[in-house]
Order: sequence, then structure tokens, then C-alpha cells
Amino acid sequence: MSLASTDHVLVIACAVGILNILALYEDPQKKPGCENAFTSTIDLVRHIRPTHNDYFSITVASYPDFSVVVAELREFDSTGKSFSLSIIAIEIKNIILPTIKEKYPALPDSQQVSMERGPRSEHVTSCHTPFVSNSGSIGPLFSSAPGFSSDLHFSSVAPLDRQMITAPLVSQSSESGMWFPLAQSHSGASQTSVRKFTRESPDVSWSPVSLQGVIDNDSAVSNQVQSNCIMVSDDKQDDIWSDLIVDEWKELLNDPNSTDTQPKEAYSLGQASNISSHQPQTHLAIPSHSGEHYAVTSPTSAANSSAAKPRMRWTPELHECFVEAVNQLGGSEKATPKGVLKLMKVDGLTIYHVKSHLQKYRTARYRPDSSEGTSEKNASPLEGVSSLDLKTGIEITEALRLQMEVQKRLHEQLEIQRNLQLRIEEQGRYLQMMFEQQCKGNIDKLKASSSQSPDPTNTQATETPTDKKPQDDAGDDSPVSAKATEGPKQNKTRTETEAIDILDEHPPLKRIKGNENDLQ
Amino acid sequence: MKFGKRLKRQVEETIPAWRDKFLSYKDLKKLVRLISVAPSSAESKAEAEFIYLLNSEIEKFNAFFMEQEEEFIIRLRELKERLRSVITAANEPPEAVYAAEMWRIRKDIVNFHGEMVLLENYSSINYTGLAKILKKYDKRTGGLLRLPFIEKVLKQPFFTTDLISKLVKECEDTIEAVFQVPQEDARSGGPEAVAATEQSIFRNTVAALATMKELRNGSSTYGQFSLPPMSLPDIDLAQALQLTSPIPS
Repeated sequence: MSLASTDHVLVIACAVGILNILALYEDPQKKPGCENAFTSTIDLVRHIRPTHNDYFSITVASYPDFSVVVAELREFDSTGKSFSLSIIAIEIKNIILPTIKEKYPALPDSQQVSMERGPRSEHVTSCHTPFVSNSGSIGPLFSSAPGFSSDLHFSSVAPLDRQMITAPLVSQSSESGMWFPLAQSHSGASQTSVRKFTRESPDVSWSPVSLQGVIDNDSAVSNQVQSNCIMVSDDKQDDIWSDLIVDEWKELLNDPNSTDTQPKEAYSLGQASNISSHQPQTHLAIPSHSGEHYAVTSPTSAANSSAAKPRMRWTPELHECFVEAVNQLGGSEKATPKGVLKLMKVDGLTIYHVKSHLQKYRTARYRPDSSEGTSEKNASPLEGVSSLDLKTGIEITEALRLQMEVQKRLHEQLEIQRNLQLRIEEQGRYLQMMFEQQCKGNIDKLKASSSQSPDPTNTQATETPTDKKPQDDAGDDSPVSAKATEGPKQNKTRTETEAIDILDEHPPLKRIKGNENDLQ
Repeated sequence: MKFGKRLKRQVEETIPAWRDKFLSYKDLKKLVRLISVAPSSAESKAEAEFIYLLNSEIEKFNAFFMEQEEEFIIRLRELKERLRSVITAANEPPEAVYAAEMWRIRKDIVNFHGEMVLLENYSSINYTGLAKILKKYDKRTGGLLRLPFIEKVLKQPFFTTDLISKLVKECEDTIEAVFQVPQEDARSGGPEAVAATEQSIFRNTVAALATMKELRNGSSTYGQFSLPPMSLPDIDLAQALQLTSPIPS
């Protein structure tokens, strides 16, 4: 589909009141003839998003390549989107087809649009349920479908029952795409198990297994719906992984216009807070025949999981900004990640970062310093203290003072040590460089005068006495001239100079093991 | 194996939540040994595994470190807030409340300081472990992995502890203020006093100091990349060590 036609369809969809979109993209590798405006589904989504903001709920499906999924998933993550990931791990001739969904709150009268590729024209069809038959074509099914193109290859519905669902289906055809009946048996408290896909029953619901991508968010906002469309309402997701079969839509979109790689930040962030109240993630075992690693272990402690991989390194200034935003929003309880994110206006900050930070913040406020770090809560001596009891107070102060002393000492030593380590490595680099230069110089000389006797310069370099360098057995410590060490020694503190002096004074020794015990 | 033993001891002494965040020194050593004895067919696989483990360890350090750092930033600010509010409340009638809260803050802030320093120590000891294992690798396999790899490590978040250092200093300044409150001068810090401290952090800190000292006492492979012995007045350390041992908690 061309860009224009895609847009056109979207506009129509908007107008019609369609809220859910199934965005499909056909891999050009599979079908060389098709032209795509977008190079991937992500592009498509990227395109849709800014134009229509959050109006649509977008479902994305059918990635033949798992690693692509992962990459794109990460991108979704970092754009701050909430989504749930269903990975259907059914081995179908060594193919794993995941279905990825992006979830957004959708309003009650959601319908589905499938964007289809059609050489003739675009059609907006609302479908209620997808269908696939083994014959290799998909038929999205709907009763009231305006403008039904024969290009869409609608086929008759094959009712799927439980048995079918569990069986790995359909061989992959080498021709145009793969067809897999998709059904989800939905196990869970709320719904009945299997849905039959029939023309008459529009209420197929999916219960995708949600993975780490699912954000458990503030229950404050849980606005989801999904009625009779493929997008399943999230409360139906359970920890039980029901049998899933991927459905891959053949009709895909997109003609080859250039992709617009919009920076992720351009996306309207802050969607996550709108995610429906999910159940926590589930574990999903993926038989990965394609041999790809995807560490999809979802921590069941939803509170601690951070789906966003790109790690944010917080600073006090950033935190200050954060606190201000929170206060503006009425305090840590009232503030939502989305709101905070908007207020902060920091580039590169995603909703996930804010969310996890907010969580930490709340914890810190309401359990002041009963941190998980300390193993003992030594509350008793202080609780019982009446502050007027001077003697005990003094003892405690003394104890604290002593503790501080030791801590400060350790801190000091660590600083010194770190600086030393840095210097040492710096020296090492410098020496290495020198050595290499020497070598180079020698090689050049050798080349220049190949008929001459062994180069005196070479021996000189290797034999210069090294009073600074005690003997060692590390292969890579090149012999060095003492003078070379003068170079990097500029900014030393007094203690460091002392340390280096000590180094001088301790000539290379083979220590007897017994010594160390004595020193304790 | 000396470092390995010392590391193990540190890990045992450390804050429980941190225990599995330290370097898997033993595993890495095993891999190095494996590499050096492996037939050439398996060698590259073993090497790949080694490198893989190294990198994932570094990932682990970074993730943990940055997470802790974030928490420390939050907690420091909160402590300062608490302090501020308590000080302003100091002049109001319920002074007992003020005083009790003040004690709590003092305790908390000292422990907090301790935790931050322990994080620095965490960084340091893991770095040391990495440096050692790389040296072993080079020695065993004749490779030249150490220099470039350690360069990379130097730039990692977990080793760039400047921010934590800054926080520690800030904390120390705050503590000065907290302890400015006039005290009687009796110096009666006996064993009971020590029992009142947060045992684990204190113990940890002392253990960390001791380990550092031991590690730097020189070894058979003392070389140009080795650190010089620590210049630490033994008296204080011994005293501290003595105090930690026989306290009936």
C-alpha cells in the first residue's frame, strides 16, 4: 500500500469510528513483487502513531523472524509503549511466529480494521474475527463488511475447536506466506475456554500470554475494552498459557515509500499508564528452533521488573526535576508516570524509567530507610531510649561516631585505590604505546637496512634497567625504560606520590606465603 | 586461590541482597583452566564462553550498580528532607518527638553512608577480580586480552563511581551537621555502644577494609600492575576488629 492509501484508510477508519487496527506488513522477501511503503511493521506503526496519536489500538502480527521481533519489541519498549507480547511458540516446521500486540485502551465499540494490500484499492473492512483455513488463505470474517474485495481471499470459516487449536497446524507453504489458524483458548476465570471461530460468533477473544512486555501499571487507569475483536481485553490474560496459534495474515500492506524513521521520542509517550490492569507476566517457554536466544523470563514480581532495556543512569539533578514534577502533580501517590514524564520534558526518558523510579521513590518515602540492604533492623536500642537519657545517648553517639570513622576510612582508601588503578592502567597504556612505537621504528630500520647487523636500538629498548618495575611473570608487561614513567605522572596527590614511592621501595620480592599470615 | 577465598569471605559478610551480585571468580577461573587444557577444537568454544561470561558479569555489575545508585540518590534526598523537617520542628513543644526522630535520623544516615561506601567497595573488589582473572587468562593462554579489556572495564558505569563518591561526601557533610547538636563530653564508648550500631554494615565495612589491606600486601606475582600496600594505621583497624568480635548481640 502506498503511503497515501494507507493514510487514506486511516482517515476513513477514524471517521468510521474504528478503533482497532491490525497492522500487517508483508515481508518483501517472501513476496518479491509487492511494494512496500514501509520496511517493517514498526515503520508502519510509527507512521500510524504520530498521525493519529493514540486513537487507534494497533495490533501487529506475524513476524517470521524472531530476532526481528525482539529488536522491534525493544523499540516498542523504549518508546514507552505499553504492550503485551504474545508469543506463540508452536513449532510449525521450525518456525516460530510471535504475535505482538500493542495495547491501548480502546473504547467499547471497537471494531477491527485490517489493512490490506490490494492492488485495486484500499478497503476498510471491519472484521470480527480472523479465520484461517488450511487451504492457505485467510478470511477475516465479518458480517457487515463494506466493500469486500475479492483480493482478500476470504474463505469460508473453518470452525476451530480445541483439538485443532492444540495441534500445530499447517505446514508452511513456501509460496505466499504462511497460514496458521489462530485461535486462543482462553483459560481463565472470566471466560470460557475455546472460542469457535464461526461466522456467527463474533466474540473471539484472545488471551495472549503476556510476557515481560506487559506492564503492570497503576491500577488507576484501567480502561480497556475489547469486545469483539481480536484484541483481547487484558483482564483475560492469565498466568496460564493457553494454546495459541499464530495467525498470519496474508494481506499486508504497504508500498515502498521511504520509511520515516522517526525518533522514538517523537512518539507520544506515556501510554503505559493507560494500560489495562494486567495480571502479572507469565513464563513462557519458547522452543526456539531458530536457535535464537531470547531471554524471556518474566519475573513474577511485577513490581521489580523493568521492561525497558536501555538503562537510565539517574543523577541528582534529574531526580530533582522528577521530584518537582511529582510535587506539581500532587505528591507521590497521586502522580502518574505519564504525567510526570510529560512534565519533566526530558529527552530520552521513557515511561518505564519514570515508572520504576516512581516506585522506588514511593518506597523510600513510606518506609524511610528500612532498606532492603540492611540485614538487621536494629531498632530496639533506640526505640527504648528516652532522649533524656544522656548516658545511653552518648554511648550511641560514640558508636555511631566510631562507625563513621571506619566508613570514612574505607571510603578514603577506596578512592586512593581507584585512582591508583587508573594511573596504573594509564601508565600501562603509555608504555605499551611507547613499546609499539619502538618496535615500529625498529622494523622500519630493519627494512631500510636489511643487510646490516642486528639493530642496536632494539637491544637498548629492552634492556634498560627498570627499577620501577618489579619482576613479574605477566606476559604482556613489556619491559620499559624508567624514563617513560615520568610522563603520565602529573596530577598526583600527595598520598599517591607516597604510594608510588612505596612501590619504589619495595623491590621485587618473592614473598613467602607465611608472611601474609603474620601481617594479619 | 587467595583472592578467591577473600572474595568468598567478603560475599559472605556482605549485605544478603548483594550476595549474588559479585564476580563469579571461581567460574571464570575454571573456564581459564579449561581453555588452557582444551584440545584446540574445543578451545575456541571455551574461549567464547569465557568472554561471554565476562561480558555478562559486567552487565550484571552495571545493572546492579546503577540501580543502587538510583536508590541512593532518592534516599539521600529523603534523608535530607527528614532532617530539614525535624530541625524546623525542633523548636516546637513536643521536643521528645524531635529528639527521638533525631536519633533515628542519625542512625539512618550513618548506615546509609555505610551502604554507599560498601557499594564503592563492591565496585572495587569486582574490578580487582576482573583484573586478576584477565591476568590469569593472558598468562595461561598467552593472549593479550588484558589491556584492551581492562580499558573497556574502566569506562563501565559500575567502575565510574564519581557520583557515588560525591553522594558520600554530601552525606558526610550532612552528618557533620547532624552531629553538631551539643553533646555531653563523656567518652564512654564501651562494648555496649558498639552493640548499638547496625552490626551488619559495620561488620561489613571493617571486613572490607581488612580484605583490602590483605589484598595489597603483595603476592608472588607482584608486578607493575599491582597496587602498593596500603598505608593504614594498624592501630585503628585492630581496635575496630577487636570491637566487632566478642559482642554478644
